[in-house]
Amino acid sequence: MTIPAKPFEIFCGTGGVGKTTLATSRAIYLASQGLRVLLITIDPAKRLKDLLGLHDEDTGEVKTVQFENATLDALLMSSQHTIKRMAKLNHSEALEQNSIIKTLTKPYGGMNEILSLIEVQIQSEKNIYDSIILDTPPGHHFLDFLSGASRINHFFDQSFIDIFDYVTNKNAPKRFSLINKVISSGVNKLLEYLHKVTGAEFLNNFIEAIRIIYDSKDAFMKGLSLQEKFKQERLSNWFLVTSIEQGKIAEALDIKHHAKGYFHEGHYLLLNKCLEDELAAWTPENDTHLRYQQKALLKERELKHSMSELFENVLYFPDIADVSPLKHISELIKNWNK
Amino acid sequence: MNKPHRLYIFTGKGGVGKTTLAQAFTRYLASQNFNAVYLTFATSSLGVEGSSNQIEMIDGIKQLSLDLEKSAQGYIEKKLNSAMIASWIMKTPFFRALVNMIPGFNYLIYLGQALELAERDSSLIFVLDSPASGHALTMMEATSNFGEIFGAGLVFEDTKKMLSRLNNPEYAKVVIASLPSLMSWQESMELKTSLKERSPIDCDIVLNNALTPIFKLGDELPLNLREKVKFEEQLIREQKDVIKAVIPHSMESSNLDIQRDLLGSLSTLI
Repeated sequence: MTIPAKPFEIFCGTGGVGKTTLATSRAIYLASQGLRVLLITIDPAKRLKDLLGLHDEDTGEVKTVQFENATLDALLMSSQHTIKRMAKLNHSEALEQNSIIKTLTKPYGGMNEILSLIEVQIQSEKNIYDSIILDTPPGHHFLDFLSGASRINHFFDQSFIDIFDYVTNKNAPKRFSLINKVISSGVNKLLEYLHKVTGAEFLNNFIEAIRIIYDSKDAFMKGLSLQEKFKQERLSNWFLVTSIEQGKIAEALDIKHHAKGYFHEGHYLLLNKCLEDELAAWTPENDTHLRYQQKALLKERELKHSMSELFENVLYFPDIADVSPLKHISELIKNWNK
Repeated sequence: MNKPHRLYIFTGKGGVGKTTLAQAFTRYLASQNFNAVYLTFATSSLGVEGSSNQIEMIDGIKQLSLDLEKSAQGYIEKKLNSAMIASWIMKTPFFRALVNMIPGFNYLIYLGQALELAERDSSLIFVLDSPASGHALTMMEATSNFGEIFGAGLVFEDTKKMLSRLNNPEYAKVVIASLPSLMSWQESMELKTSLKERSPIDCDIVLNNALTPIFKLGDELPLNLREKVKFEEQLIREQKDVIKAVIPHSMESSNLDIQRDLLGSLSTLI
């Protein structure tokens, strides 16, 4: 079955199952078919660079890469770069200068999941790609990614309007005096407590950060409309990846359950690192080996059986003997054309 | 035997067997009469169903799943000296949205709570089943990032205290679990380097799910298995100073049996 390309293709699953490798193979396959493809990885492990010959200094920039006869764009997600792009698009230098925002968008500041939504939005607005392929972070962090839009939504919730009104006031009071204006509303009371346990300097930076982020609210809110597109079969393919090695049925089900609003008919289970044929053809030379063979075969067959019961579309990818990641991809690409 | 650390942080690429290893190590410590507790962080955001926040005996080991909501409330209560104000703050949509928007903040609350508990009972040893690689760094960075953000005040003093514990090689130790595959190994080394760049924290790499205790290179094996064994033999030979323990692939089926299988190979991690 050849799976038609969609504007957004999302790879998700638990860690270590070969998600990045499969997403990359899909991207290269589509590019080799003449499509204009962008591959984005928000997996902080950044294994993609090993696979495509990207370097650390390329992080955050869209790079054109070549693999055999395919040319495609690749982007290693970086919060700092996304914030910079947002700042540029919003003409808001303050966005990249506030010290709190700066600290939180450091490589391990924890903002990758939410900002990656914005990044995909920015890239899709360029209108130059037929397909944007997303390699999401593993397991529960993938759920963070999915809930990114609702988090953004809550952040700009109506109940914040008073603080935003307050800090975006044209006649905004000078730094360090903001706190004196703190009076009655719930938010103000909260700030008062915050003042008790932190310093005035922090509070001013904090209020400033909130104001700056609020000014860029539109960019954040666009992340929401993007998420709606992920729910439409016409616009997206979902690939849930798991591997024989791990056989984490429970975790795959957990993801399926949490993503049920998104998993429309166009979702596929990819079962990676299948070894059954090779194992079955092997004649073990002693009892330990025989036991290993039987256990491994049993595990693989059971897993394949349960997955085919749970998912309508299951695709099988072989375990590849070669340790070189590039060789891996060349082999996997062939499977997209079956 | 060395004196154990107070906090062991098990991490590594997803799917390397962190949970099994962390639980087996807790079991090992308990078998040596230490008051070891297997520790996890229940949820990544407020408003999601949490946990009991109590140490419980499960499958023969002490386990604690920290609850974000309860931990945060407890912390604020202590800082502001009022349960009422803490419960009010926890209810404000502003605070909730803020915590959920900044994942690093969760880790600060969780780590703070764990270290606080460890301080109250000096016999406690926590074995933390921590998030996969990149997120482990987010967790470790949370203390210094928020220290930087707050700059002064009570919370700042707390982050400083947490940082000094985490950076004390006698107090805390990171155990990175790696599989005997090229990608997993590379990522483990990258993680170790990143951690070492940031702090003097003690850090060990263990090789999990090793096939070489079962297979030798000369054995009659399918191509894929042979390639794996070949890579692993070479890795163990070249990195014998870096690999702190080689943990054999277990042929048991149940999680408990697998853990019992591993106990013997974990003693070097203390």
